[in-house]
Amino acid sequence: MSSVETNGLTRRFGSFMAVDHLSFEVKEGEVFGLLGPNGAGKTTTVRMLACLISSSEGSASVGGYDIGRDSLKVRQIVGILTENPSLYERLTAYENMDFFAEAYGLSDVQEKRNRIRELLEFFELYERRNNKVATFSKGMKQKLAIARALVHQPPILFLDEPTAGLDPESSKVIRDLIERLSQREKHTILLCTHHLEDAEKLCNRVMIINRGKSVIVGSPDELRDKIAGQPVLQVILKNLNQKIIEAIKDVKQVKEVDVDNSASRLIITLDDVKSVTPEVVRSIVYAGGMVLSVNTLRPSLEEAYLKLVKEE
Amino acid sequence: MRIKKAMLVFRKDWREIKRNWQVILPIIVVPIMISVFLPILLTAIPSLATTPGTPLSGFEAMIQNLPNHVQEQLAGMTEQQVMIYIMALYFFAPFFLIIPLMASSVIASDSFAGEKERKTIEALLATPISDGELFLGKMLVSFIPSMIVTSISFLVYSTVFDLLSFSIFNGTLLLPNLDWFLLIFGLAPTVALASIGLTVMISAKVKGFKEAQQISVILLIPILALVFGQATGAIIFGPIVITALIGLFVIIDLAIFRTGVKLFKREEILSKIA
Repeated sequence: MSSVETNGLTRRFGSFMAVDHLSFEVKEGEVFGLLGPNGAGKTTTVRMLACLISSSEGSASVGGYDIGRDSLKVRQIVGILTENPSLYERLTAYENMDFFAEAYGLSDVQEKRNRIRELLEFFELYERRNNKVATFSKGMKQKLAIARALVHQPPILFLDEPTAGLDPESSKVIRDLIERLSQREKHTILLCTHHLEDAEKLCNRVMIINRGKSVIVGSPDELRDKIAGQPVLQVILKNLNQKIIEAIKDVKQVKEVDVDNSASRLIITLDDVKSVTPEVVRSIVYAGGMVLSVNTLRPSLEEAYLKLVKEE
Repeated sequence: MRIKKAMLVFRKDWREIKRNWQVILPIIVVPIMISVFLPILLTAIPSLATTPGTPLSGFEAMIQNLPNHVQEQLAGMTEQQVMIYIMALYFFAPFFLIIPLMASSVIASDSFAGEKERKTIEALLATPISDGELFLGKMLVSFIPSMIVTSISFLVYSTVFDLLSFSIFNGTLLLPNLDWFLLIFGLAPTVALASIGLTVMISAKVKGFKEAQQISVILLIPILALVFGQATGAIIFGPIVITALIGLFVIIDLAIFRTGVKLFKREEILSKIA
């Protein structure tokens, strides 16, 4: 079942096409990434889905509700981490949570208190609950903003750049928390990011968008294979000579052999790395080669992504 | 429309405002100080006015412009009593229409524009609080404190004036009277709501707080016209005039609220985030 479904979703700002006929589907319980450079249309897409701005064309449903007709219902079932933390700095962490809990309809006092406590403890902010948000670090604000988005236990969560502007350590903390959270609370998550690490670590599927258009959709592994081709074999030898290279080239499925003499390293392009690797190793050994290491090299998602965005 | 949700917005904003002394101090101190100094000034002016050659002698000409029913009330009073009576009960009455406007102007201008500047608006707009509830909540956070300040100012003004004029009017307490009750608890709130509604509308449309406040100053002009109208005797705030004005402003308030909600566009607000 789809939690989010868009059909030709489009948004123009004057003559500028921010989102261009975007169609995708996010299944229930899935973590779906919208990956793209700044200005790709990620935030505009989330804002349309969260009923903050209207679409110029196309349609979309969130949790079964049409974003055009049932905006209040959509807002009710969605939790959103906006591009900025959007926290009230003169209020304490608890007061911020309390306001949004009530705004999203948590009227039972005990239930509300328990939920706020549970989330603040999960995000390690409970000890600082009575401190004003103005005194928080950027990472703490981001954690609080995610906690706020979860306060009403929304089945669908939109996270817009959850690690943007954070140092690597804080980014890792946030990523780990989202990962634990998605496993624990089973939300459907739509994650906007330009950080490949976020997409790679957190998403079941990723859609790369550029200039408002969908470029490709798939799991991080699929994207790597589709964009940057098949993995290659890296072999490091103690001794490298022409006889060994010729022996490798004689193996039927070997397409190309790149030689790095200085490091005694070979990068071998094959049809099917898994099945051909033993034969390649055997040919090296028969040719008198002494193998130090054999690795399968996959192009990183970053390489794949950069290649794709550059092509676009 | 769920009043509970509007009150939630009110409580949240009020919590923030009461921790900001830069906003709170001028709202409370200025009106209350004026409420103390105004009656002192009023009781001092007539003694100056009786001194020949002072510019304040011109007040007599203004009194002549007052309608007959007001002048009848003055029969039998000394010149000093007439002066104090007219000024305290009539000339400065519309000033209490300005107090709620002054007190609410900062908060109302900040309502949406401030949230845009501080980049807190997006999460608020993403909540399932309706346009009407948000708009009303933002109006209430300006309206309630400004009316409290106005009521306290009125209380202070009446007390100080009565204390100072008690002996001058041979033990008669002149304030509060029916006109003032109608003015403070009928006309002032309805005028304030109209001004607040317009300012909140402006605040939602512009990019920043300063812009909103500069534009909202224009809203003082019609109220200043009432002040000058009263001061020159062109309009006298008697019970009938005040009641008619209350009725008129109730209609204006409803129209402004409806228009404000209709013109409230989340999308437009988001596009103005600095």
